[in-house]
Parts: sequence; structure tokens; C-alpha cells
Amino acid sequence: MSNSVISVISRFLEEYASSTPNKLKVIDAYLLYIMMTGALQFLYCLLVGTFPFNSFLSGFISCVGSFILAVCLRIQINPQNKGEFLSISPERAFADFQFAHTVLHLVVINFIG
Amino acid sequence: MSTQALNPTHHLTITDVARLQAVLSQPFTDLKSAYYSVVGLSKLGIFVADADETCRFIKSNLDPSSVESLFYAAEASQALSGCEVKYFFTLLFVLITGCMSVTDVLCQPLSSASVLAESASAVSSKSAVLSQAPFTLREYVSRLWISNVICLKHSDNFIWKYFLCLKDCPLFHSGVFELNFMASQPASGYYQFSVAIAGDSRFVANHVELKVKVSTRVAINNMDLSVVDKDQSTGPKTTRVEYPTKAKASFMADGHQNFAVTFQLVDETTGVELTPHQTFVRLHNQKTGQEVVFVAEPDSKNLYKFELDTAERKTEFDSISGTYALYLMVGDATLENPILWNVADVVLKFLEEEVPGTIQAKTLYVPKPEIQHLFREPEKKPPTVVSNTFTALVLSPFLLLLILWFKLGANISNFTLSPSTILFHIGHAATLGLMYVYWTHLNMFQTLKYLAIIGSLTFLAGNRMLAQKAVKRIAAEQSSRLAKYRSLR
Repeated sequence: MSNSVISVISRFLEEYASSTPNKLKVIDAYLLYIMMTGALQFLYCLLVGTFPFNSFLSGFISCVGSFILAVCLRIQINPQNKGEFLSISPERAFADFQFAHTVLHLVVINFIG
Repeated sequence: MSTQALNPTHHLTITDVARLQAVLSQPFTDLKSAYYSVVGLSKLGIFVADADETCRFIKSNLDPSSVESLFYAAEASQALSGCEVKYFFTLLFVLITGCMSVTDVLCQPLSSASVLAESASAVSSKSAVLSQAPFTLREYVSRLWISNVICLKHSDNFIWKYFLCLKDCPLFHSGVFELNFMASQPASGYYQFSVAIAGDSRFVANHVELKVKVSTRVAINNMDLSVVDKDQSTGPKTTRVEYPTKAKASFMADGHQNFAVTFQLVDETTGVELTPHQTFVRLHNQKTGQEVVFVAEPDSKNLYKFELDTAERKTEFDSISGTYALYLMVGDATLENPILWNVADVVLKFLEEEVPGTIQAKTLYVPKPEIQHLFREPEKKPPTVVSNTFTALVLSPFLLLLILWFKLGANISNFTLSPSTILFHIGHAATLGLMYVYWTHLNMFQTLKYLAIIGSLTFLAGNRMLAQKAVKRIAAEQSSRLAKYRSLR
């Protein structure tokens, strides 16, 4: 059982390394970074306690929001999905990404206290 | 010898009398001061110096159209011997006192009047007791009439006030009207009387409202004390007690029993059931001095009932078992004989008897212990080491990101140095800087203001930059497609 899992994972990684364009890999690295930051914040909250609860929430929501926006950007940029986003050019996707981030950070900074 | 009314010299010292005399002997300028001077001096027993001169002064200053003036003149002339002021009343003020004495304004009896009690109604029930009952004139009453202070209520007008002070209103030989109200045997309570004087069309103020209280004596009937088992297993043991004796045996009630008291309150003379304002049952612990008072309520048939559930009421007794003396207290404004009756002794047993502590009553009115304000404890914070470690830990993925990007070969080789690009990047950096400043100094409104300015600049620059990039991309795509097409051929 574990053998097949390992083989699946290694196959997946191989495919990923070869067939994904570089741009998407850049975004994936960014996604990984965001996820790790969020996970570490959550770990801190579990271990030490929720003392400035609003700060924790704001940080965590920032991570989650950024992750979601980056995923959206990745989906919209992916040339394989071009058929579904005919009206949205990659530049437009990036501009939306920027704008949404501005709003997100406004809220996050407001809440961080 | 006729009884003498009190005069000022009975109260004042000689020096005070002399001082008063000096004040009253001052020359008077108008009728009012003349009146005070003359009447005051006559009360002190001093004769006015110049009686004729004063008489002439009064007559010359008399204003027949003013009642006030007429009054002053009449009174002053009466105090002076040998002075007669002729007057004619156009109005006859009728003076009605509570004891139905009808006179005119100078206490001359009006025998031509007839007095009628137009109506009398009980205040509580508003039901009419009398209607148009005439008063009869009492003949040949020769007694000194001392005007009753309570009778005169309308003290705004000076005339009434004068009669308030007048202690020796002249003897009435007739002029007292009476109506025997008690003959109609009214029930106890308050009554509102409306009295009118008829007989002359010139009468003014001939209508008056009077409040009369009829009081009575109360008797207690059928005082029954009983101890009832809560679960109704045994029948109630009822003992009848007669007022004012005390029940011989004491009653016992513990947690399983209820103690009940029922009685009836009736009017002694008529036997009508009464509901006085205060009907209390008081239990007094002789040893500790503690007392608990309950109210007995009447039911629909006006039978008073009080039930004591020992288990339920133990908090009021502080669960102190012992012998309690039971008192019945009955009182009302219309009762002539309020009752405080020690009916019986009751031994109450409470479960979970606490040790009777010191009576708290005495400490009720001393200053209470001061409450120290407890400020909100600041939350426990983790040690700085821990939070610093985690800060470093949380920031570490950024390094990871940079390493990954470097490995992937992300670069900024496409960075064109056009003004829009530079402006965009500056605007972007400014937005991030604004976020930091917002966290430290600003509020939302200021931030939004700055953000609007910076954001619009960034947007315009970014739009330009992205448009340029798009153009480049499309050109590259087209050229690559062209190359592919050419190579295919």
C-alpha cells in the first residue's frame, strides 16, 4: 500500500517538474511560502495561547486570503485554462490580484490592532 | 363673670407690650393701618388717644364700593366707643363653618337663610347617602362660640384669615343649623358633604364641600387557629380563640405541617364585614427578639386567612426554631379601637437549624465595608523569548521563498525602465509604506484618503505598464507563431 502511495507521489513530482511552466512554478513557490507562514502562526496559537486574539486572527486571515488570491492568479494565468478566461488577459489577472491584495491588507492592518 | 379671652399681655413681657404700643401708636396714613392701630391698641387694653379724630378719619377714608374698606371701617369703628359707621352691604358674604353656623361676614347671624345639605356621598364607593336633606335651625343656643380653625379652609381671602384669629366671635343666640347625620346609620368611612345656603339672591360663597369621617369599632369573630398536615393525612386541628384571651395551649408546627389562621372582622354595631387597611400577623421570638410580620388577606367572602408554610418561609425566620408569640394587629383610619392581640404561642421547628448568630438588625445602619476596586488584570503574556523565537520562525519561510525563486530562475530581466514602470513600483511601495503607517499612527479615514491618492496613481501607472507588457507579449506570441509557421513550411 505504502509502496503505491510513494510511487504515485514520485510520479506526480516528476510530472510537475517537467510539464509545468516556470511562471506557475514561481507562483507555487509563493503559495508554499504563504502556507508555511500560516501554519506556523497557527502552531504558535496552539502552543502559547490566543492572547492577542485579534492579532492572531488578522495574521491568519492574511495568510489565507493571500493564498486564495494567489491560487486565483495561478488559475487565470495558466495557459491550459485559456479557454475559460477569454476576456481576462494575464495582465488583467495580475492587476486584479494587486487590487484585491490592497483591500485585503487594508482590512488586515485595521484588525491587527 | 364672663370668661375672658386670652389677650396679648398674657404672653408678652411689659417691655414688649410697650414696644408694641409704640409701633401701633404711630400716626396712620390709610384706613388699613388705622384699623390695625385701633384694633391692636384696643386688644392691648389701651384707649386710643384721639377717638373723635380717628372716627372722622375712618369715615372720610371709607370707600363703600370696596369690601375691604368696609371691613376695616366697620371693625375699627366697633373698637372705638361712640363711633358709628353706616354701611350697606350690596353683597352678603355667607360664612359657613363646619359646625353649620351661618353668619354674615361680621358674625351677625342670618336667620333668614335656610341651609340644605344637597348631597352627601361616601368617598370610597361614591354612592350617595343623602340627598337634599335640610338642616334645622337650633333655637336658643347661648354659648360662646369659638371659631374652629379647621372649619375655615379658604385662607386666600383676607376676610377668612381674620376670622381664623378671632377668638371671641359674639354670642350666637340662633344661627346654628344642625343635621343629625349619624341618625341615618352610615357605614364607616369617609363622606363628602356638599352644603348649600339658600334664601337670598345676594348670597355669595354659599356652597361648600366638607369631608366627614365616620368611625366605628371593630370586633373579631371566629378566630380559628389550626395546624394542618401538608400531605393532608390527618385532619386539621382547629382551636377557636376568643378576643381578648390567649389560647391556652401552644401550637406546634414543623416542616411537615402548615399553620393556618382564619378570622372575620365585623363592625361591632352593625355586624357588617369590614376590610381595614392593616391586618397583620406578627410572630415574635421571645428569646432572640426577632420578629416577622405577615399580611393576612381577605378572600372573596371577606374572611381573613393566613397560612404559614414553615419550610417555605424559613429564610425569613433565619431557620431559628423556638417559641414564637403570635400577635394579630388590626388598624385603620376609620377604626376607633385598633387591635393588638396576643393570640397564641407557636412553637416552630425548622430543619437544618443554624446556630443563631448575632442579630443582624443592629448592623444594618453602620457603614458597610469599603469595596476596593479591582482593576482588570492584564492578560498573562508569554515570555519575550518565546514570542521572539516564533517571530523569527514565522518570518523564516520568506527566506525559503527567496531560495526557491532563485533556484527556479525567477529574475527581473524583463524590467523595462519606462516611467510608468518606475512610477508603478514607487506607488506600490508607497502603498505598503502607508499600510505600516496606518498600523502605527493613522485611523481608517486618513488611510483611505491617502490610499485614494496613492492608489489612483499606482493604478494609472500600473495600467500603462501592464498594457505595454501585454503589447510585448502579443508581439512575441505572434512572432513565435510566425516562426513556427515558417519552419513548418
